[in-house]
Amino acid sequence: MARTLKDLRPVYVVGIGWHRYQNPSDTPYVTLGVTAIREALGDAGIEWPTVESAYVATALLGMASGRPMLRHLGATGLPLSHVENASASGSTAFRQACIEVASGLTDVSLAVGVDKRNPVRREGTGIDNLAEDAIAQFTHFSLLTNEYAHRHKVSFEDIARVAVKNHRNGARNRNAQRQQERSLEEVLGGRKVAGSLTPLQCTPVGEGAAAVIVASEDGIRRLGIDAARAIRVVGSTARSERVYAAGLGFDAVLTKETTTIALEEAQVTPRDLDIIELHDAFTVEELHYIENIGLCREGEGVHLLKEGALDIGGRCAVNSSGGLIAMGHPIGPTGIGQIGEIALQLRGEAGPRQHPNARTGLAHMVGVGAVCYVHILQRP
Amino acid sequence: MENQLLKPTLYTPAGALLGGRCTCGHVFFPMQTHGCEVCGRYGADLQPMTLSGRGKLLSATIVHLHADKARATPFTIGKIALAEGPVVRTLLLDRDREIAPGTPMAARLVPIGETGLDLRFAPEG
Repeated sequence: MARTLKDLRPVYVVGIGWHRYQNPSDTPYVTLGVTAIREALGDAGIEWPTVESAYVATALLGMASGRPMLRHLGATGLPLSHVENASASGSTAFRQACIEVASGLTDVSLAVGVDKRNPVRREGTGIDNLAEDAIAQFTHFSLLTNEYAHRHKVSFEDIARVAVKNHRNGARNRNAQRQQERSLEEVLGGRKVAGSLTPLQCTPVGEGAAAVIVASEDGIRRLGIDAARAIRVVGSTARSERVYAAGLGFDAVLTKETTTIALEEAQVTPRDLDIIELHDAFTVEELHYIENIGLCREGEGVHLLKEGALDIGGRCAVNSSGGLIAMGHPIGPTGIGQIGEIALQLRGEAGPRQHPNARTGLAHMVGVGAVCYVHILQRP
Repeated sequence: MENQLLKPTLYTPAGALLGGRCTCGHVFFPMQTHGCEVCGRYGADLQPMTLSGRGKLLSATIVHLHADKARATPFTIGKIALAEGPVVRTLLLDRDREIAPGTPMAARLVPIGETGLDLRFAPEG
């Protein structure tokens, strides 16, 4: 019988760090990456040579970008792998690091995400298509926005309120790409991209880095890491898309499927969740995902949003970091940055954006493919 | 000179779509023999099946901005559940009109450029 992460050795997040997500610049990716790793090492209070393996998440840097970066920390000879899984690259690297520690192969492992905004290249499959070259990511989510608005009799203005909340959160996050509060009028203004989607309702893909160090209890003891600040990973689940009935959105169904398994593994219910970081590359996604994670029934997300239940200080703070819309989505780092935000919140170290009494957090990421990753973290 | 289909492996001059069917019953578009997404059968187990090009609109959206400057905006993308099962996303004939979900749609060929013909969906009738 296959086992889950929770059946293996306990794994803890012990160090987190970032290089701010930002608009494309001349900063080399090496600078972005080592900045985040050094901050995570400092946060854990450990030295680089104690890290036994590294997973480098990147989607847009090309082949073997990790070693030219990591060598500047001291070439310790540690095993190194690169992880590419579209938007979920960082989540995947984090899961691999957790699995390695949980299995007992290492006591301390690193997941680091780093990316620059380079063109996406995808090889053809040998199967032609009608007009995929005309369909950008935002077009897919504009179609979903229209479907959602039509099915649930919800206005585009109400869907856009997701962006108002997430810009407000991002304004309190020094690592966010967008750090400015925005009114509903501002969010709805500007040029329409597709359908009702405006630029402030879409993620600004930029560059940056995020790093997370995970450790076993043996590692924490041996290296004298502060156990009171360690956050346990109590669930880790990954799934990919199956064939769903026509009309069922794969993003939503895949999220439901993956989250259900993760909640079961962690033995928590949606009501127990204090913090959720989810893939809000476009406003409508946040509503789809909170409904499929189980915070409320389908079509009721807007009610929670409007009554402030998703705000910091509300029932469950959703995207307290600012989410992909405000914190940003540099691809490789994004899923790792989510874990960092949840760890900050569960430790009570989130400063101006601290959600009171946060004990349990869930990180959700989808990636083109489609793949879905869900992690659940808990303060001991 | 006769007008050329831009993508003759995907549709016929009459506007039918060139799909396929697996021996397991799964109907897909376009035709391919790499393998069935439901059961994994491949090769001769996957046979061509012509799809009517009719279906129901699930959603549509007007695209106002597009990275490719050669593609004039606005244009409209629709998601259509074909009568035989597969869902396709492609260009609609109306470039700037919102069509309501649930509308019956049909494929037709329209002139593109000097001598080309390409497939577009429009409300049936």
